Amino acid sequence: MTSSTAEISFYSSMNGGRIALMRFYAYIGLALGIAGLAMYGQSGYNEDAFLYQILSMQGLIWGGTGALLGSGVAMIVSAMKPAMLQGKVAGNTVPWFDGMLLMVTLAVIAAQFEPAREFITYEDQSNLLAPSIVMTMNMLLVFSAVTYIAYLFAPAEFIGRLATGTAYLGIFAAGTALLLRWHESYLFDMEIGHAPVSNLYEVFIFMFIITAAVYLSFERRYNARAMGAFVMSIVAAGVFFGIWLDSVGQGLIKPLVPALQSYWMKIHVPMNFVGYGSFAVACGAGMAYLVRYRLEAKGGTAKVLAVFPSLEQLDQLAYKAVAVGFPAFTLATILGAAWAAEAWGGYWSWDPKETWALIVWLVYGAYLHARVSHGWHGKALAWWAVAGFLVTVFCFLGVNMYLSGLHSYGRLT
Amino acid sequence: MANMPPMQSLPELLKKLWQRLGSMSLAIILLMILAIASVIGTVLLQNQNQTDYLQQFGPLWYWVFRSLGLFDMYHTWWFITLLGFLMVSLSSCLWRNVPKFTKEMRARKGTISARALARMKLQEQWPLTSDISIDSLQETFRSRLYGWEFKQTEENGVHYVRADKGRFQKVGYISVHSAMLIILIGGWMSVEFGFRGNMAVPEGAKGHTIEFLKGTDTATLDMPFEVRCNSFVIDFFPTGAPKEFRSNLTIIDDGKEVLTTDIIVNEPLLYKDVYIYQASFGDGGSDITFKLYNMDGTAETRTAKTSVYKSWTDEKTGITLKVTDFKPYNVENMANPGEPVNFKDLGPSVIYEIRGPGLKPAKIKAYMNPFFDIKGKNMGSWLQVSLSGDKADFQSVGLGLDLTNPQEWKLFHAFMSHLSTTDVTQEKTKRMRSAFKMAMQDVFGDERPENFQEMAVRTMEAMQTLPQIPWPYIPMLDDYTHVYYTGLQLAKDPGMNVVWVGSGILVIGLCIMFYMPHRKLWLVIRPENDGITVVFAGLTNRNHMAFKQTFNDLFTQFDQDFKPKI
Repeated sequence: MTSSTAEISFYSSMNGGRIALMRFYAYIGLALGIAGLAMYGQSGYNEDAFLYQILSMQGLIWGGTGALLGSGVAMIVSAMKPAMLQGKVAGNTVPWFDGMLLMVTLAVIAAQFEPAREFITYEDQSNLLAPSIVMTMNMLLVFSAVTYIAYLFAPAEFIGRLATGTAYLGIFAAGTALLLRWHESYLFDMEIGHAPVSNLYEVFIFMFIITAAVYLSFERRYNARAMGAFVMSIVAAGVFFGIWLDSVGQGLIKPLVPALQSYWMKIHVPMNFVGYGSFAVACGAGMAYLVRYRLEAKGGTAKVLAVFPSLEQLDQLAYKAVAVGFPAFTLATILGAAWAAEAWGGYWSWDPKETWALIVWLVYGAYLHARVSHGWHGKALAWWAVAGFLVTVFCFLGVNMYLSGLHSYGRLT
Repeated sequence: MANMPPMQSLPELLKKLWQRLGSMSLAIILLMILAIASVIGTVLLQNQNQTDYLQQFGPLWYWVFRSLGLFDMYHTWWFITLLGFLMVSLSSCLWRNVPKFTKEMRARKGTISARALARMKLQEQWPLTSDISIDSLQETFRSRLYGWEFKQTEENGVHYVRADKGRFQKVGYISVHSAMLIILIGGWMSVEFGFRGNMAVPEGAKGHTIEFLKGTDTATLDMPFEVRCNSFVIDFFPTGAPKEFRSNLTIIDDGKEVLTTDIIVNEPLLYKDVYIYQASFGDGGSDITFKLYNMDGTAETRTAKTSVYKSWTDEKTGITLKVTDFKPYNVENMANPGEPVNFKDLGPSVIYEIRGPGLKPAKIKAYMNPFFDIKGKNMGSWLQVSLSGDKADFQSVGLGLDLTNPQEWKLFHAFMSHLSTTDVTQEKTKRMRSAFKMAMQDVFGDERPENFQEMAVRTMEAMQTLPQIPWPYIPMLDDYTHVYYTGLQLAKDPGMNVVWVGSGILVIGLCIMFYMPHRKLWLVIRPENDGITVVFAGLTNRNHMAFKQTFNDLFTQFDQDFKPKI
């Protein structure tokens, strides 16, 4: 047995069968436990220090109990119904949960290397650690994009693995940086601390994670590595925008305006970016489709075609990405409406951001109608996926830059 | 006239129209038209001041836009009609498809025709010897599939096992479309039976009327109760940014105090189905006392009392001071660009407009405290003056003297009078020094204050700046009693819960639609001349790629299962 097959069999035994199922339910239990802590915990939900509530003994008890109960339930149920072990959901999702746990661990380790308390000031944030991790992430993601493009022209397995590997590392760097930033925001003052989804700079990093993760899960399951050149290029463009944001001072940690001080922010914003990130992947698939289509029309002799997924596959992948993004985006918009109802006095006020969210929703709604019920396929829909993402970009960036309204705290100054 | 199309009766025509309304092409066109129309309202700022629009677009376009209702676009007849069309289209679509889908979901044909089978892309077959029992084949098939529903039939000697998963996927379709209808109905209920408006209540005062925009006009509505604002407090972060806006409110219903509670942003109060939100705040008419420093060299001062939003007129000179705002805090970043931020509170300030015969009107922001520079050095009292009346044009004007210290004002005048009596032939600095010494003697006697040198600098500065002031006196903020008003938003929304129900159904429906595809598998066992043919086929309506993998995995398993063991 070679080392690589040993690796594969270890991997499949960890991510299949009973172990995966128990872990899957343990994670669900953990999440439910933390939600329980927020709702019924001893001191209740504390807007100012939720991170430390999770990481405290109390959080450990709630989350740990949830995890134990979850895995216990999984063990009993799977013993009663062995066929459950054939389900694929657990095996497919568990690695991502493991990754999240690893991110938390990395962030906790990195937090030990922060400068001493007396050297940390709100006025001068340059000595904090998260910005350097973000810089590492920037380099990894850009490198990954370049490598994916190189893979198109030199489809060696080694280059492909390097591209995939750096993309994964980039995700971990991004996740660690965000978690660390959450911690850092508390280092200035407990009152300033808040979840790192409060301004454009932070959500951009979050979007890199989602986009890359959605793409990588497709790559792993459908063997569509050539699409990476397109998706990761979008991410790389985002990285440069993030660097610019940082250079104009958007990267600084600032206290939250009263309107954002709500648990809704921790739910609504990430959910929205699950939608946006998936739409970015759909756009990447659409672009790949259009490129392949062009190449085929020219005679299909280009070497690049050898590594490209087939047109049908790309078409399916774009649809799959929309199928992930659309429900998430719908849910996010509804959650936003619920928050608006609580903060602004109405679930819908035709604010530019809300209206653009509706426009995005309508565009993808029309995409799905055209595809599923009208039987449209191929080129037109590939264009639609690309155009839809442009509308999406305007929704989360253009609205903040050019239009005013209630969402103006996301504004660039 | 043979070519004339056959006449259609009215019901037939209506039926055709109804079907056309539910068609997919119309749905797509409607969605896109709605999307494009919505863009207009985000590019063109809604519900602004009419004069601003007129200024922005000029009379022609103003009237064109206004007659199309573009300034309150989302409530115009044509936009509502579009939404109405969407509702009709949804209803028609449901009307047509629900019976079809329910029938499809109920009836599961166990058999499959050879032609339908041949059309399936995903299929494999095994020619097997006849000694393999059909029952055991079917048993293997079933045992490999977890969570599938089976239907087993036999027809003309052919054995069928049909397996279904996600049979109720069409429920997702029905719920998504009904949910949209429910949400639209909820929205209509909100608009029709609800209200939403603003109420500004000064601290200590009561309010019971809300104001809101109706088209391009402002309308009012009386609430069934009164709201008293007991206090309004702003809490700050250490950085100076506002942390919390908190109003303490008492609800008075029918003359009785019903409840008293705090509200903050994100935590509204609900009373009698009306939500009360913390929306804004402002000055609630604070009492302002001005100290007027005469510029005629008499060293006289007097006070003038007024309040925010009111004017004070001086009968002697005809000068009017119109107080427009008061701010108890002025937190500013004192750092130079590029340096780390350094927030500081500059203290209270009052904004007023000064007008009078022969005076250029000006908007002034006068600070109560003198300006301290970054090292903490007292730079004297100061104002910000805007001649255009626009806040963006405020220019800082240092007065030199620290007017909060009455002795400094005296010192300045003593200095000026001594300066005019000194020997003109002497050198200027010498004259000033001796005049200052005498002035110090006049004001302080022998007890010189410690910081007299700074005072000297400020006096010299004032000698330059004060004569440039065009007004007969400088009105400075002397005292105040601060009152906020809390800006409340009151809303009643009977459609809201309907919308939440619709939203819940929508999300669940979408999940069913996208993540629970209807998958069908068949195992067809057909006896042939000298054995049996086993056909394994599959079909799905969503997520073909994942299904293909599942199908292939199953095929590999069955391939091993079915092959005769050697």
